[in-house]
Amino acid sequence: MTEDNKLTSKRMSRRRVLASAGVGALVAASPFRINLAMAQEPTIKVGFPVPLTGPYGTEAQDQVRAAEVAIAEFNESGGLNGRKAELLVRDDKLNPGEAATRTLELVEKEKVNLIVGSLSAAVQLAVNNVTKQRGIIFNSISQSDTINEASDFSKFTFHEALNPHMTAGAVGRYAFPKFGKKVAFLTADYAYGHEMVRGFQEAGKAFGIETVTDVRHPIGTTDFSALLPRIQALKPDILCISNFGRDQQIALKQATDFGMKKSMKIVAPILLYTGRVAAGAQAFDGVVGGTSYYWGIEDKVASAKAFNDRFRKMHGGKVPSDYGALGYGGVKTLLMGARAAGSLDAEKVIAAVEALKYDYYKGPQYYRKCDHQSVQSVFIIESKATPQKGDADVFNVISTDEPNEANLRTCEALGHKS
Amino acid sequence: MIDIAPTIATASSRSYSWFDLAKRHRVLLASIFVLIFPFVMPFTALAVNILIYGLYALGFNLLFGYLGLLSFGHAALFGTGAYLCGIAIVHFGLPWYAAIAIGVLSALAMATLIGSLAIRTRGIYFAMVTMALAQCVYYIFYQAVDWTGGENGLRGINVRAIDLFGFHFDFINPLVRYYVVASFVILAFFVLSRILASPFGAVIEAVRENEARARASGYNVVATRLITFILSGGFCGLAGSLAALHLSIVPIESLHYETSGMAVMMALLGGMGTFFGPFVGAAVFLLLENLVSLWTVHWQLFVGAVFVVCVLFFPEGIWGTILKRIKP
Repeated sequence: MTEDNKLTSKRMSRRRVLASAGVGALVAASPFRINLAMAQEPTIKVGFPVPLTGPYGTEAQDQVRAAEVAIAEFNESGGLNGRKAELLVRDDKLNPGEAATRTLELVEKEKVNLIVGSLSAAVQLAVNNVTKQRGIIFNSISQSDTINEASDFSKFTFHEALNPHMTAGAVGRYAFPKFGKKVAFLTADYAYGHEMVRGFQEAGKAFGIETVTDVRHPIGTTDFSALLPRIQALKPDILCISNFGRDQQIALKQATDFGMKKSMKIVAPILLYTGRVAAGAQAFDGVVGGTSYYWGIEDKVASAKAFNDRFRKMHGGKVPSDYGALGYGGVKTLLMGARAAGSLDAEKVIAAVEALKYDYYKGPQYYRKCDHQSVQSVFIIESKATPQKGDADVFNVISTDEPNEANLRTCEALGHKS
Repeated sequence: MIDIAPTIATASSRSYSWFDLAKRHRVLLASIFVLIFPFVMPFTALAVNILIYGLYALGFNLLFGYLGLLSFGHAALFGTGAYLCGIAIVHFGLPWYAAIAIGVLSALAMATLIGSLAIRTRGIYFAMVTMALAQCVYYIFYQAVDWTGGENGLRGINVRAIDLFGFHFDFINPLVRYYVVASFVILAFFVLSRILASPFGAVIEAVRENEARARASGYNVVATRLITFILSGGFCGLAGSLAALHLSIVPIESLHYETSGMAVMMALLGGMGTFFGPFVGAAVFLLLENLVSLWTVHWQLFVGAVFVVCVLFFPEGIWGTILKRIKP
């Protein structure tokens, strides 16, 4: 090869490289052009990141259904001066990193006005960190004590769900005077379990309870047979099982098989509607627990009746689950706040939501000023042995812990300046 | 790269030379790609994630593709970088550049620790030892709640603005964030390319191809392994630090073995042992996951099917297959 030849070939090739790079870029660009061309509509956009896939998928899909009810009601009643609302659902895969990415997408690309969602303590804290930096109002619909604390809280943060302190406290106040003072704990070894135990123990101080043991198990445990006899041997009056989802179903099933219900009362901070429906009556028989919502309260609470009826109408006769209903409450409060403020300006909406005294689906509620925690009732429920009103009739509401700020941790304890 | 006999080169000298040219300027081409990349992506936060995980897979590939050691513990390096960068900002209030430096240095230190224990083994045993050590790291960070937030993850890595040489950049702006991350990734491209093109890079591949012969030629195989592992850890630590800054949180999941598995997946999908392949793998993996999950909750079914097809029909990975096709 001569020197000349080399040069020509080099020049030719550079042109070819550029040409093919150009074509490549165009090809890569084309499928996504559609996205860029989409026109912006002046709707109120509500971002809704929830774990549609993963272990809490059932709950999350119910949350979406309930949120759709809130959006439909808002739009039918005239929206915000005619501006309609729209729900943008995203799958956060129960992963905080994915949730933060999705929230960034919702804020930066979709330019959402409000964000409601999340179904895990870590995920809601991740979403909250992203939204509070960008001044977007976020209403969390999942349990956490940490989100109330001053280090994570910002004025853009609202918490429509219960927190472990309130839930476990309510169940404890019901159970300790009735069933006895010797208490054993079986706890999932992560934030949720720890916060629940702390809630039980705080509530128990007033009744002078004695903790006989606190057995911790890793999340996703399938065999409790090594742990349960240890608890049985200590002969407690009450066994508090603070775990979630499938762990709870298996623990209750095995505790029943071990005959533990004969010698002690089993309580759980949260009895999940979907868990009870999935696991059946036997495992849950006689177990007392708390919940933020049970559709059966519709006999006594008018707003619950209205919400259930609307939900049934929109979703083929189904009733909303506990966590599902939170999707409704979370979206509805922010939208009603925006309507009261007459604008979507974050400061005005925050002031309006703080001022709300609302009863949308479970009786009276309001947001406490210092940490934006929704002060609300906790229902104490017990599993029904035989349903009377169809398959969905699985719980009896045996007591209601009325909304009371005294049941929350104080603003000072959370680190807020009064 | 395998040398092709000169006879073949002369037979199609023209087309061969453009390929050669592109190969020589791979950093430049990759950088141009990175610069136009956010404009063809559905949203910028995803583009930043692809950059970060692309860099992570690139660092992993240095060990896996070039040295031939399959590590199942790279999450420990990624996560250490992410957590230490975050801790530097949250607990010590250090500026962002110092935090990135600490993230990278701590990942280098972690890689030295894990590497010096693990390189005595090879094959499946190496994979298992790295995985076991990574799980230890996971639990250390998980238990250190006061420093890491434990289960809740580390929050509050709030970098609002980046001031550099008198310029003020709003780090909240998605495109600014992209290009800040991109500049680090391009720097990493350059460093990685230099490493691979250096005599040391040749030794790495020599060890992969024939360990006994490399040793017989007077190369220190153990040292090569350890240094490569540490370098690989540096790239992964940088990726972790950038992830912490980008998302403003560090979830405990970043230390989980699924994150280790992700690197393997991305490297295999894109093409192990190619310079740009892992980056392509990361892009395809994350893009598929994000796009398909918008249409259906059964996205895993589709993504899984794509993997099966890739493994069955493109064992050299997407980029590896493309390279093979266009290489004259």
